[in-house]
This record gives sequence, C-alpha cells and structure tokens, in this order.
Amino acid sequence: MRIRTSFEEATEAYQIPKLIRLAPNLYAAAFTLMKMIPARHILKKAEAEGRIDPDTVIVETTSGTFGLALAMQAVHLDRRLILVSDPVIDERLYRRLTDLGAVVERVPAAAAAVTGGYQAARLERLAQVRAEHESTFCPEQYSNPDNPRAYATVAELMLECLGQVDCVVGPVGSGGSMCGTVSYLRSVLPECRAIGVDTHHSVLFGQPDGHRELRGMGMSLMPGNLDHTVFDEVHWGTAPSAYAATRQLHQRHGLFMGPTSGAAYQVARWWAQANPDALTVVMLPDEGYRYQDSVYDDEWLMAQGHLDAPLPPEPVQVDHPADPDGPWTTYGWARRTVAEVLAGERDPARVR
Amino acid sequence: MKVRNLRELEPTGSRPAEFEVGVGHAPAHHGELVQGMFDDGSGRLCRALVTLPQRDRGSRAVFYPSQNHWGIVGTPELIKVRRAAILALREFTGHPSPAKGGQIEITSDVPRGVGMGSSTADVTATIRAVADYHGVSLSTEDVGRLAVLAECASDSIMIDDRVVLFAHREGVVLETFGHRLPPMIVVGCDTEPGGDGVDTLSFRPADYDDRELGAFQVMRAALRRAVATDDVALLGRVATASARINERFLPKPHLDFLLDLCRRHAGCGVQVAHSGTVAGLIFDARRPGVEDDVRDCVAAIEGRGLTLTAMISAEPAEANVKVTA
Repeated sequence: MRIRTSFEEATEAYQIPKLIRLAPNLYAAAFTLMKMIPARHILKKAEAEGRIDPDTVIVETTSGTFGLALAMQAVHLDRRLILVSDPVIDERLYRRLTDLGAVVERVPAAAAAVTGGYQAARLERLAQVRAEHESTFCPEQYSNPDNPRAYATVAELMLECLGQVDCVVGPVGSGGSMCGTVSYLRSVLPECRAIGVDTHHSVLFGQPDGHRELRGMGMSLMPGNLDHTVFDEVHWGTAPSAYAATRQLHQRHGLFMGPTSGAAYQVARWWAQANPDALTVVMLPDEGYRYQDSVYDDEWLMAQGHLDAPLPPEPVQVDHPADPDGPWTTYGWARRTVAEVLAGERDPARVR
Repeated sequence: MKVRNLRELEPTGSRPAEFEVGVGHAPAHHGELVQGMFDDGSGRLCRALVTLPQRDRGSRAVFYPSQNHWGIVGTPELIKVRRAAILALREFTGHPSPAKGGQIEITSDVPRGVGMGSSTADVTATIRAVADYHGVSLSTEDVGRLAVLAECASDSIMIDDRVVLFAHREGVVLETFGHRLPPMIVVGCDTEPGGDGVDTLSFRPADYDDRELGAFQVMRAALRRAVATDDVALLGRVATASARINERFLPKPHLDFLLDLCRRHAGCGVQVAHSGTVAGLIFDARRPGVEDDVRDCVAAIEGRGLTLTAMISAEPAEANVKVTA
C-alpha cells in the first residue's frame, strides 16, 4: 500500500490541481498555477535529453503565468532565464519574476504603434537574445508538443479520483491544457466531451481578431498546440460576466480564482445543470491574488462599468462562430477543424 | 524468505531417496489487461503488464532428483524449463541433501504460442517442483525473479494472491493494485485459429511513442481505481485502451468485430494478449442478465469461426497455492 510522501521541490507541489466537488455532478480542477505543468515538464524533459547544459540560457517571450512557472523551475535547475515581455506586464508579476532571478526585458512602448505591435517586437527581440548567447533553449509553449503532453498527469488524477468524466470545460489559450487533458482522458474514455471557453474577438475558434478586455484566454495568433478537433462545443463570453462569475465562485464555494476560471465556471455550471446525469469537470487555471485590485475590487469594477453586471442565464446558439449574437454565445464545434467549420458545413451535432 | 517445511525434519532413510519427488503447479493466463511502459517510482520507464490469470488451465511439473545428469521430458520448451530447474536448484545449494540434477516431467493443458503463458506456467511449475523437493516454500516474488532469470521475460501468474503491475523483464512488482480483480466474466477466443502463433522469443518489444507513454500513465491510474472500487466498467475501458495501442505492434484480426460484439451485449471492454493471439470480452458478473449476453457472445464468436479459449468467471481472492508432493 502507498503512503503519502513529500514533494521533491516546490514546483512539483505547485503543479498538482485540487479536485473539488461544487455540485453533485460538477467538480473543479483548481490550480495554484496551471502553467507549472507544461513549464516543469518541458524543462525537465529538455534537461534529461541533454538539451539544457549548465551554460544554456532559457529564453521565452511571455507576459503571463507561463513565465512565472519557468522562473520557478529555472531556480530548481539553476539556469539563467531571460523573458522578453512588454510594458503592459503586471507590475507585481514583474517583481516576482526578477526576485526569482529572471531577467525580464520589456520591449519599448513605442512598439505598440508599429505593425505587428508588441507581439512582433517581442519575437524580434527574442531572436536577438538567442543570437547573443551561445546556447539557448526556448520552451515555445504555443507550439511545443510537450505542452499538451504534460497534462497526462491531470487526466491521471481525474480518472483515479472520479473514474468517469463525461465533460471537461476549460478556458483556451495555448490549447495545451484542454487538448492535452481531454486527449489523455479519451484514451480511456473516448466519448468524454470537451467544451472550450474563449472570449469574443479571439482568433482561436474562427472569430476575427480585435480588442479583448479579458486577459489570459483568447489569442490574436493561432497557436500550433490548439487541436480544434478535440472540441465538441465552444463558448464565447465577455469580461464583465467572467468577472461576475469569478466573484460567484468565490462567494458560493470559497474558491479564490482568477477571471479565466470564472469564465469557465459560468459555462460549466450551466452545462452541468442542463446535463444532470453527466459528470462535468471545470478547469480553474490560477488563483485570485493578481486580481485583488481589479476583479475583486468593487470600486475598480464600478469604474469599468462592470459592477453588478447581469449574468446571462444561458448562451445563445449561433450558426457561425463569428456571429455576434450576444454577450454569451455557443457553437457546436463537433470535433472539426477550423477549415471544416469555416467552410460553412452545417454542424451535424447542432442539436444536443 | 525461505521457510522450512516439516518434512525436512523427518528422519532420513524412512523412505528410499529415489522415491522422493517434487511437484509444482502453475496456472495459465489469458493475456493481459494492460501492457506498456510505466514509471518504476524513480522516474525510470519500465516495461510492465497486468496479467489476467486463467486458473482452470495450467502446467504441472514433477521433479525426479538424480545424482547424475539432467533430462527433461514432456515439453517442447526444453531450454527455459532446464534453465529454470538449474536456477532453482542453485538457489538451494547448501540445503540438506541437494540433488545434483534430475529429470523434469511437464504435463500441461495450456495452448502454446497464443499468449496464454504456457512457457511461464512450465517454468513456474518447475521452480515450484524443485522447491517442493527441497521442502522450501519460496515467496511469490522469489519465484517471479527466478522465472524472469530463466525466461528473460515472464508474466506474473506466480503472484497469485494480488493484482500487480509486474515488470516482466526485471521480475519486479511496480505496484500492487489490490487483492483481487473485480467480479467479472471473460469470454476468450483465439483470433487466429490454426495460425502459427507468436514466437515470444523472437518477438520485438513495442516501441511506444510519447503519446502512448502518457496514456499508460493515465491507464495505470484508472486501473488503480477500478481494482480499488470493484469497477469492471472502468477496468474494461482500460483493457480496451491497451488493446487499441497494441494494434500498432501486434494487431488482432477480428478486434473490431469483438469490440462491436462487446458493445452490443453491454460488455465492459476487450482485453488481448500483447504477445499472443487470444482476446477476451469482459463482462460485469454482477449485472442482471449477464449470462444471456455471455451465451450470445459465445455463439457469435463460434459463428465467426473463432476458437473459444476461456470462460473466466469471477472468483474470490485466492489463497497462496500450496504445492505438496
């Protein structure tokens, strides 16, 4: 029989989600820092394969939690880390990264006005950094197949704790967490449904790029790790309803999570109520500390015009991903590619 | 740990030594529930499997000691059995009145070359027969270790009191899932009746990709839960997943037919021999009406011209098989 043992290092402890029952048929996979899973897996694998020498500098372009996870793992590996970011990086995150010994380069604010914006300027600077050092390793979370593969451990935990999982709901950014977790669950449970939660004006599921208020999900560029054929259903939401749902998650369940968690919770709760015989798990990627002065601050919400934003009771079904049919829309993706969906083929599984 | 048997304390000379023989038994199996590569606990990946035991078939070995030469009769797998006998005998060097050699006689009703563990059954029965002659009771792990030494790779039928993830090339238990499998019925068949079978000695080990390695990790967790909670449905799903991965390495003819048959008769999944040709439909023995589905599946399998190989039914936890002369 097994006994509980200690963690080898902090990053090992940080990556494990807690599975928490929210309703008889709804469970949360609550992460302290979900990006720890791919960051740790990618760096440890690269080290084991001899791709990170003692002199190798780890480089990555990021302004989010993936950089934080890399910085923590770089401490354990005793390697230098250079992160290329932009001026809009969260100041608290910046301080935490530099405290972990990471060098954070911010491309100049003027880059925002040039074609390609910060994204292009960051990639350009990243290339320069790589040229300046003899040996560099870039984890490339958006295209590295080891990102989704790292999530086998989450599928493992869900299967051991729950046995049956009928539906997984989660926010989509790089595609790693949802595609990885669901693909591995399907190796044992092939019929398990995947519901991706995106935000309007994100290119991930066929909408044209545009300004997005809600950070941490949705993208302006299509990540290689997003396998669209994993998804049965896609939902698009707005920032104010995500904020309101984040607060509800906190008030009703004591779960102190970030706004992408709120966005996923809103969809998962609706789906679980509509499907009482199915067991649903919702992915909650990070904690609420970074948002105490925003999502958790009523004055800030009021200044944004988001205080007491009404939560739509249910999504509006749209016939095309880009149909702007309201604050909360859904589309039956039916495990197709973007090309298949945009070719206008009618969704065969439109009626659930 | 070696435990001395009472017989050892009996005064010698009460019976002529040449009439003393050792007898050992070992059951067959019906392929595996899972086979793949798994973390051995230190981060190293290790080939391992979970055997599906089939106790109504097996091998019996009789060891006739001699002070002269070795001779082995009754089996075509002479090399492994001879090696097992020599290894077992060496294990007892220094023990009172060891034999210098002897003769092994194998009687077995385990079909050969179909993945039902005929070779491990012979080897295990032989080790137990030699141990029996010496009045020694070996632990299941010791038998497993000797069997792997004799065979290079061995299944885990000798570990008959637990459900284990067994590293079949190291002879090491990676994990004990529980004391017994959930109550299930397995309807087994040979997917290549009249075929040549699989030569396990020359069969190349599977070269799994990263995706499959991740899937094994997930399947191991599911199996842990399935055994702990008596969940045949989940166990069947894990077996099916392993059978599907195995298609890349040793495809089973008729697998789609069996999966479809299983689904239509409310079965839980299909398990296969990962180095053989047998496959089995898994049913929850507790489900009302299961007998009818089992009977219909037997008819359908025979109707397709496949040979039935097993009807394994739920059985309670089995005590260690004690072998005596």
